[in-house]
Amino acid sequence: MELGWSAADLAFRDEVREFLDAELTPELRRAGRLMTSVYADHHASMEWQAILHRRGWAAPDWPVEHGGRDWSRTQHYIFSRELVLAGAPSLSPMGIRMVAHAIVRFGTPEQKEFFLPRILTGAVFFCQGYSEPEAGSDLAALSMSAVRDGDDLVLNGSKIWTTHAGEANWMFALVRTTRSDRRQSGITFLLLEMTSPGVTVRPLVMTSGEEIQNQVFFDQVRVPVSNVLGRVDDGWTVAKYLLEFERGGAAVAPGLQVKAATLAEHACAQAGPGGRRLLDDPSFAARLADVQMRADVLEVLEYRTLAVLEAGGNPGAAASMLKVLGTELSQRISELALEATGPRGRVYQPHATAPGGPVTEYTAPPDGYLSGQEWQAVAPLFYLNNRAGSIYAGSNEIQRNILAKAVLGL
Amino acid sequence: MTAFVLTDEQLMLRDGLTKFLASRYDLDASRAAVKTGAGWQPEIWRALAQDLGVLGASLPESVGGTGGGPTELMVIAEALGYALVVEPFVDTAVLGAGLLRRCAGPRAAELLAQLVDGAAVTAFAATESGPDLHVVATAARRRGDGEGWVLDGAKSVVTSAPIATHLLVTARTSGNPDDRDGISLFLLDPAASGITAHPMRTIDDRVAADLVFDGVRLPGDALLGAEGGAWPLVEQVVDEATAAVCAEAVGCMRKVLADTVEYTKQRKQFGQPLSRFQALQHRMVDMYMEVEQAAAAVQLATLALDAPSRTERARGVSVAKATTSRAARFVGQNAVQLHGGMGMTEELAVGHYFKRLTAFEYEFGTESAHLARYTALDQSRS
Repeated sequence: MELGWSAADLAFRDEVREFLDAELTPELRRAGRLMTSVYADHHASMEWQAILHRRGWAAPDWPVEHGGRDWSRTQHYIFSRELVLAGAPSLSPMGIRMVAHAIVRFGTPEQKEFFLPRILTGAVFFCQGYSEPEAGSDLAALSMSAVRDGDDLVLNGSKIWTTHAGEANWMFALVRTTRSDRRQSGITFLLLEMTSPGVTVRPLVMTSGEEIQNQVFFDQVRVPVSNVLGRVDDGWTVAKYLLEFERGGAAVAPGLQVKAATLAEHACAQAGPGGRRLLDDPSFAARLADVQMRADVLEVLEYRTLAVLEAGGNPGAAASMLKVLGTELSQRISELALEATGPRGRVYQPHATAPGGPVTEYTAPPDGYLSGQEWQAVAPLFYLNNRAGSIYAGSNEIQRNILAKAVLGL
Repeated sequence: MTAFVLTDEQLMLRDGLTKFLASRYDLDASRAAVKTGAGWQPEIWRALAQDLGVLGASLPESVGGTGGGPTELMVIAEALGYALVVEPFVDTAVLGAGLLRRCAGPRAAELLAQLVDGAAVTAFAATESGPDLHVVATAARRRGDGEGWVLDGAKSVVTSAPIATHLLVTARTSGNPDDRDGISLFLLDPAASGITAHPMRTIDDRVAADLVFDGVRLPGDALLGAEGGAWPLVEQVVDEATAAVCAEAVGCMRKVLADTVEYTKQRKQFGQPLSRFQALQHRMVDMYMEVEQAAAAVQLATLALDAPSRTERARGVSVAKATTSRAARFVGQNAVQLHGGMGMTEELAVGHYFKRLTAFEYEFGTESAHLARYTALDQSRS
């Protein structure tokens, strides 16, 4: 939807579009089109980051002095919308969209000087060490210990759901430096090298067969105290600040609109009941229209949030609502896509997709045979991976608790 | 209401099979067999055939069966679902046996005996490009010399084909591609010249293949049943298979519900077990009620399979498939949600069951397809 945009907004959109037409190669478009989750193929993602970086657009929402752009909130939204409309592979959010903002806000001059340029080039690639086996939704229950020994902190414990731990060379982690009655205090925000002795990564095989998530074990891992971000024992403040960047500001609805529109195209070509096209099946057509309408409404909700931000206001718990609506709508679309795939929705053929991590225990057919079409190979894996949407980044149950408290005062 | 209570023999069948699977059927071993092994565990199949005698559950004693009916098949399928058995019970003992026992002739009788003792495995090749099984473009024509047939065409995602000893293939011998008349059933040797198989694995760890038939020469006795008259038989046996996979799904759902309840009791967050959160209690109660409705719908289908009229049978089966598909989606998705990140992995049983329930939703017609069939049957009555 481009209703209510200014001429300047439209001109900016055209500038972004021109850049994408020129720079987004067919290989990168393929990597974007065949993504099976929110994570693109790592190499494609880094290649795309390098191209964006050459234009100065890898991290537009950073402060200008660190390489960001002086764009309005609307321009940021337009930029992120154009990327998804063009089918660009996603960038990992951990560095550019998350920890970098905390480094800008809480980092020492040395930390800023070391990390920010390297995050931009991809020389430093971060993973996130928040969740632990016994601390998921209840993050403040985290117990990985960090004990001071000279100029080092010595870490013992483990982190889980660490996306791309195998690809990352740095981790930002929450560790417990002091035990106190108030669980949120005594937590420290730490930057650590994945090559540190005593760090072991165990990949977790997802139901899609992909290895994207990991458990990371720490056995007497020494990290210099100078790698603490913010103050020791005050990491919760840093984490809360960072959370604002994990939730909100991104254009989710346009991606869902593209997915629904693509699904409609496929449903035109797919055989439905009674010898008609699937799109002519009234039940399927009604459900497709339903998700398309929901995506349109979600886009307006995103604009309304944007308007509050633009005016310098705080949209409050709106981010929680957008997270719930966006992930559940994405799940609905993935169900319809699987239904549209027909009997081939059951076939496991990751060799025709661009997964976000290595696939184990699978041998592609020697002749590269594909049953059906690429989108039919993506559908079941996208469906399976999409179930994570209502679990990660604060489960939708937690988001509903937040909304009940913050919006309804319950 | 004796129809709603299992007989002593049926209880023994259920308990014996359940006990066998609990002690002998290992989830990891069965997944490994599909992912990196032979595609199944033949020794399990032999035990099902010879030690437990379940492969001939619906077959007469004359071919070595135990003379049961739909209820026996449902009892078995539910127990297999609970243990997430990947071996081809429905493909062989429901579809294969159901088709063959209604076809006269020595070949059918001989093959039935082999099915019962576990020596033969059948795959049913019916699906082509769309959801309607009566839309058959694969064609068989009589050979010029009058001796047998020549088969040309293709079938999609034929489950169990890579491990099958026999293929049962629908092919058109007359009429237009979407006519219900003119469809015939053929028995093929998977190794026959002219068949190209593209083997594949399914998301729920079964084996399948796309099959291409290019001038496959078949002997005269490859035709099973009446030439051009296979559709009513196919429709009936597919209804039986549909009811059986619904029963299997009920078994899967009972297992994931039990696992979910247990997991939420163990898992503590915010200082208490997840099971103490009322929102999650209500979710699990809703899961329970979906399972109970699915089980009841399967019972309806089981009774309907013995009904004299095609309409009554088809209505009962469509109620079961629509209800059970809806339940499978709700129960599977929420089992994953309540297991959190662990539900997204292959580390716990729930992830594997979720994939089976997902594949089931779209097998033998979606919820929407069965709602449509139910509606059409209703209109044909008035």
